[in-house]
Amino acid sequence: MAEMLIKKFVVTRFDPDQDDVPRTETYEVPCHPDWKVLDGLNHIKDEIDPTLAHRWSCRMAVCGSCGMNVNGEPTLTCKKAVRDLPDTIEVTPLSNFPVVRDLVVELEGFMDKLKSVKPWIIRAKEKAVEEGPTRQSPEELEEFKQFSMCINCMLCYAACPVVANEPEFIGPAAIALGHRYSIDSRDEGAAERNEIFRGEGTVFSCSYANECSEVCPKNVDPAAAVNQAKFNAVIDWATGLVLPRGGKE
Amino acid sequence: MANAHPHAMAPAKPGKTRTAPPQRPPKFPTGGRYLAYTLFDWTGLIYLLLGFLVLKTIWTLGDGQAAWDAQIASFSHPAYIAFHILSFISVVFVGVRFFRLFPKAQPPRIGPAKPPPAPVILGMLYTVWIGATVLFGAILAGGIF
Repeated sequence: MAEMLIKKFVVTRFDPDQDDVPRTETYEVPCHPDWKVLDGLNHIKDEIDPTLAHRWSCRMAVCGSCGMNVNGEPTLTCKKAVRDLPDTIEVTPLSNFPVVRDLVVELEGFMDKLKSVKPWIIRAKEKAVEEGPTRQSPEELEEFKQFSMCINCMLCYAACPVVANEPEFIGPAAIALGHRYSIDSRDEGAAERNEIFRGEGTVFSCSYANECSEVCPKNVDPAAAVNQAKFNAVIDWATGLVLPRGGKE
Repeated sequence: MANAHPHAMAPAKPGKTRTAPPQRPPKFPTGGRYLAYTLFDWTGLIYLLLGFLVLKTIWTLGDGQAAWDAQIASFSHPAYIAFHILSFISVVFVGVRFFRLFPKAQPPRIGPAKPPPAPVILGMLYTVWIGATVLFGAILAGGIF
């Protein structure tokens, strides 16, 4: 049997019924060498302190539920191995989000922002079923596929310095998802979204720190999406100035 | 850890549960990768000072040859030399950072043409930058014109 690693987990705790501000609690956890940080947290909850609250689901970096700061770095805890971390592992809730309890953050703000960029396919006229499916070539799929890989884990929001300062900033994941639909060949809503992206607290609030892309566990590269959306919003505006009807049919 | 804006990522309609205020990223502004971003922002101050220096230098053109010569001679002061070295480092730092991030932020498509691959774009950017530097250097040194 492999030798256990003894790790000290320093975990942020916050009980909205009792605590004024978050505090920390330390747990000594015997970890299997192949454990992830999430396994350590589950061990604390199952064996040491059942009052600990944290989100998780799939355990394979697909659902995006278990994002937390591990030693200051926004991380999917199901992906980060304890053997790669020092003896003391500090786990805090994601930065830039209100904390509901312990390691659980409030996501409603993100849901509001996500809806505002209309992350769905917009068609001027719905196609009749008899007309068959809307076809898309592999090249057209390749255009936006990377940006559709977002799992809404919120690590990009926790890393973004602009989110910390500007509460109205829509943020990396929401803009990446809006941009993903704008460059989808089946979509006809790019002009609508460009109008949104030219508004306050959207793409032009981004100062291109690139931190969102550095921490993204799915290599979505939200910084690229945000900055491509900036360019598209400007081109759309300039086209509208020089072409009749903004260059639209 | 410092607090973020109290309404950062707050829902439009407040929930019923009391929440703890959002915190800034723990390593911001000088820890880890944030240091490069913070330094990038601070270069703005260097450019501001450099802008004032350029304006002051241009202003002396209207004060006669003696004033111009005195201004040029003052650039040999160690403080000015240090400031110019700092400015040069800032320009190179910002240029390299911008060029590194530019290829992925470039227009995804102009007309039907696909953008060239990132190494080609980087090659073009550096060629233009170095070419322009050599050209202006040659003009200022009196090699051209």
